[in-house]
Amino acid sequence: MSSMHLIAAVFDKTEHIKVTDALLLAVIGVVIVFIVLIALMLIVTAVGKIFDGSEKLQKEHPEWGEKIADVKSKMMFWKKFQKQEPASESAVNVPLAEGTCGELKLINTEERDAAMIMAIVADTTGTPLNELRFKSIKRLEEEK
Amino acid sequence: MNIGEILKNLGESTGFAGFGNAGGWQSIIMIIIALFFLWLGIKKKFEPLLLVGIAFGMLLTNLPNSGLYHAEWWTGPDVVDNGVDYLKVLHDGGLLDILYIGVKTGVYPCLIFIGVGAMTDFGPMLSRPSSLILGAAAQGGIYLVLILAVATGMYTGGEAASISIIAGADGPTAIFLTKSLAPELLAPIAVAAYSYMALIPLLQPPFMKLLTTKKERMTVMTSTRKVSKKEKIIFPILVTIIVSLLLPSVAPLLGSLMFGNLLKECGVTERLSDTAQNALMNIVTLFLGISVGATAIGVTFLTGKTLVIIVLGLAGFVLATICGLLIGKLLYVISKGKINPLIGSAGVSAVPMAARVSNTVGLQYNKGNYLLMHAMGPNVAGVIGSAVAAGFLLAVFG
Repeated sequence: MSSMHLIAAVFDKTEHIKVTDALLLAVIGVVIVFIVLIALMLIVTAVGKIFDGSEKLQKEHPEWGEKIADVKSKMMFWKKFQKQEPASESAVNVPLAEGTCGELKLINTEERDAAMIMAIVADTTGTPLNELRFKSIKRLEEEK
Repeated sequence: MNIGEILKNLGESTGFAGFGNAGGWQSIIMIIIALFFLWLGIKKKFEPLLLVGIAFGMLLTNLPNSGLYHAEWWTGPDVVDNGVDYLKVLHDGGLLDILYIGVKTGVYPCLIFIGVGAMTDFGPMLSRPSSLILGAAAQGGIYLVLILAVATGMYTGGEAASISIIAGADGPTAIFLTKSLAPELLAPIAVAAYSYMALIPLLQPPFMKLLTTKKERMTVMTSTRKVSKKEKIIFPILVTIIVSLLLPSVAPLLGSLMFGNLLKECGVTERLSDTAQNALMNIVTLFLGISVGATAIGVTFLTGKTLVIIVLGLAGFVLATICGLLIGKLLYVISKGKINPLIGSAGVSAVPMAARVSNTVGLQYNKGNYLLMHAMGPNVAGVIGSAVAAGFLLAVFG
């Protein structure tokens, strides 16, 4: 029987309890909330460190990224058995849309943020978006 | 049967005649209270999405002879002994009886939590994991109110636990716990929880200013690390597994919250996420409000117990704010002045109102010091914290 069931056997929701029991419950309750949330904090921190670490390693050793990608592609052996749809000509060589002025390079920036930035620039300068050309958008890291 | 008899029967069947029966005057007062809440919701915009529904439910349930809701089918000694007779409810129940099934079974709060999860960005919390401590600290208010409620000697253990959860500043959690532990107090507890949540911009600032120094309030917090998409996807899955294994009674609420969040973050269920955030949330809010309001029947609502619940609820909000601020001050010292203690008060759930209050007070002392994103961390951690606290109380009294 877990400790929770032991406590549940002591208190009946339809009965009055003593103030001393309430005090004890309060202490146990606060401790449990802290234990659960501190456990989460440690896990979140650990997961964050793992992700930051792997990102740092990839930056320091770009060649590892290629090796990992190679291993990954070898691991996906089942893909060989999947029916390969021939890529359509249009999908392989998509012509640029009329009036386009090239590709936009996003560096550490999500598409949604980029769209917002472009909209803000267009609005602030009073220039229609189709008359503006963005070459790249890069997220700057703040100095700590 | 002559015409006089027909008219007499017709007269007796009207609601007006019902006001002369037992509990009639209480119904009149409840209708006045319902109209007052409607005014608060519509004119003063106090949590209108829920308060308007709750107030209208109160109005409908207190109209004599309408037969929309039968309190005796849901609470009372018979129900405690034999459970709810759902067949009878489905066969003979009124509209509000049918809608109330969702409250009694705990379905509505969980569905609301799916919507809340789909609207919540845990990014600020993930980028600063110490936010979770502030979210835990503010739950101290819940347990202090538990002691106070027991000390009054007016409430059973289950009732005191249900009242204490008001301090969690989380409506669905309060409803989820109360429907299990003290369903007869559902209306006053829900009304108190939502009313005080609406009053957070008035309730918190005086204590925030009282408990912090000007220097502390002016603290500028630097931006934290960028959280990757993968982390945001892993988080709801990890939390569900770990917390539900530690405290199984919290699984319905937290599981729903995290499911909603996963729909938002995984990036492949945009339609479902959109439904959870909008259509589902609106429909359930509508049903929840009106059916919770229906439990506010004059005879059971107009008692000394309700009045004390309102006072204890207020004390709970204040105590939760104080607990959050005190731990915020502690983190300020530990971090050597890098964490602004004002974000501690956001540890009470009430998303995103409490975070906005931290931001507003911070801006008053240092223009350009935007604390909103930093306060969102403790704010969403508070949702998890109050769900854990409710799970504990449910395990103890349920």
